[in-house]
Amino acid sequence: MNSPSSGPDSIVRIRNLHFRRGSRAIFDGVDLDILRGKVTAILGPSGSGKTTLLRLIGAQLTPQQGSVEVNGANVQTLPRDDLYRLRKSMGMLFQNGALLTDLTVFENVAFPLREHTRLPPSILRSLVLMKLEMVGLRGARDLYPRELSGGMARRVALARAIALDPTMVLYDEPFAGQDPISMGILVRLIRELNDALGLSSIIVSHDVAETSSIADYLFIMAGAKIVGAGTPAELRESESPMVRQFMGGLPDGPVPFHFPARPYLGDLLETPL
Amino acid sequence: MALLATIGRRSLGLFERLGRGHLFLLSVLIRIPGLLLRPRLLLQQMWSVGVESLLIIAVSGSFVGMVLGLQGYNTLVTFGAQASLGVVVAKSLLRELGPVISALLFAGRAGSALTAEIGFMKATEQLSAMEMMAVDPMARVVVPRFVAGVLSMPLLAAIFTAIGIMGGYFCGTGLLGVDEGAFWSQMQAKVMLVQDVFNGVLVKSLVFGAVVSWIAVFEGYDAVPTSEGVSAATTRTVVHSSLAILALDFVLTGLMFN
Repeated sequence: MNSPSSGPDSIVRIRNLHFRRGSRAIFDGVDLDILRGKVTAILGPSGSGKTTLLRLIGAQLTPQQGSVEVNGANVQTLPRDDLYRLRKSMGMLFQNGALLTDLTVFENVAFPLREHTRLPPSILRSLVLMKLEMVGLRGARDLYPRELSGGMARRVALARAIALDPTMVLYDEPFAGQDPISMGILVRLIRELNDALGLSSIIVSHDVAETSSIADYLFIMAGAKIVGAGTPAELRESESPMVRQFMGGLPDGPVPFHFPARPYLGDLLETPL
Repeated sequence: MALLATIGRRSLGLFERLGRGHLFLLSVLIRIPGLLLRPRLLLQQMWSVGVESLLIIAVSGSFVGMVLGLQGYNTLVTFGAQASLGVVVAKSLLRELGPVISALLFAGRAGSALTAEIGFMKATEQLSAMEMMAVDPMARVVVPRFVAGVLSMPLLAAIFTAIGIMGGYFCGTGLLGVDEGAFWSQMQAKVMLVQDVFNGVLVKSLVFGAVVSWIAVFEGYDAVPTSEGVSAATTRTVVHSSLAILALDFVLTGLMFN
């Protein structure tokens, strides 16, 4: 019921996913299908395990139960070489960019190409400049990551994520902490790259407005489960209180404002020893 | 009861970490052959781990050598044996002070830098990003640094010792009037290539280099990915490396010279 459809068109297929950190359940029986060629967003409050989901898709984490399939292959049981081959077809944009700080912008984008191909320098240069041109930072090629603003660093990281021409790009909170202009640029870039390069994009985010403006399909996560799924228009009309709270940005509702605590009065009246 | 539980928990934690450290070392060692295909990575690290440690090694070596010259002369002159100053300076440096002090300095300068660098890369998700780009961070980041540390240490110890001997020579012959010919000829006669140079500068410093580099890269890779975590890991690298150097020096000296 959480899937737009399930079938050969799913690039990622997650079944009965259980993942715990200590005693806390992050995912408690999650089923999810991500469609090929679409921009799919996973929305949820901070701490709802969205980044963990991306790491499970990239097989950087192993679930306690359930399966994660990418392109029909179970990533948890893949041998290391096959997993690395699969990762070459995935780009990931980390929340802070995760650029290699000792390399220039050019070298950062060239990094995956140098590691995985033996291209002649002139072709490598052209490829890197093309990727940088796509994110509008060809002129910043000689800068170091410390000289970039947060938005620029994320765009360089995006250029690096698409350097190997992946079929899927994972975005971890691409809009968090961005000024309105950078945010607008990133929103446009994600959509345009998805359509121009024929990618499948997965965005995890808590920015409802920006994400719903570009996503074809949304999942809403809360309490270790998927609580809503549908197109942005469908979710805006949803009757579910959980979905309404999240889409409307209401401070309290089924997702509580307060972290679990004992009764307020008793806490206040207690005399410290 | 609580005390017992704490001791138990800490001991388990210690052994668990020791186990992880050894598994980590194993996974570093099996990746070393792959480094042969990429000598550039090794050379870059030899530069930052080895060449950039040269200044502190050279300056410390000259002072340690000069102090040895002064102290050695003071003791030897009481027995009229100041002509043996060259032997005293050279043997002390080759067998003990060269490898040990240069390893301690290496732990403080290069070991801490290795831990901080790898820990920072982990905290800023650079290692995760490499994994997602299908690049093995152990092979790309850890192994070149480890091998560079192991190879740099004997070279640095040799330079430290050579400069120390020159320091002792200038102090002894220049300031205190020891005969120059006696200084060098006695040294030449008494210093043994295998027993002193090979055992001391080469074997000891290879062992120290391996241990310091292992501790440094493991602490960085295993650091809690926060600023406190990286800073605690850096401190642990210096403390544990220093203790390991001194303890191993005792063991190695026992095996080699007794």
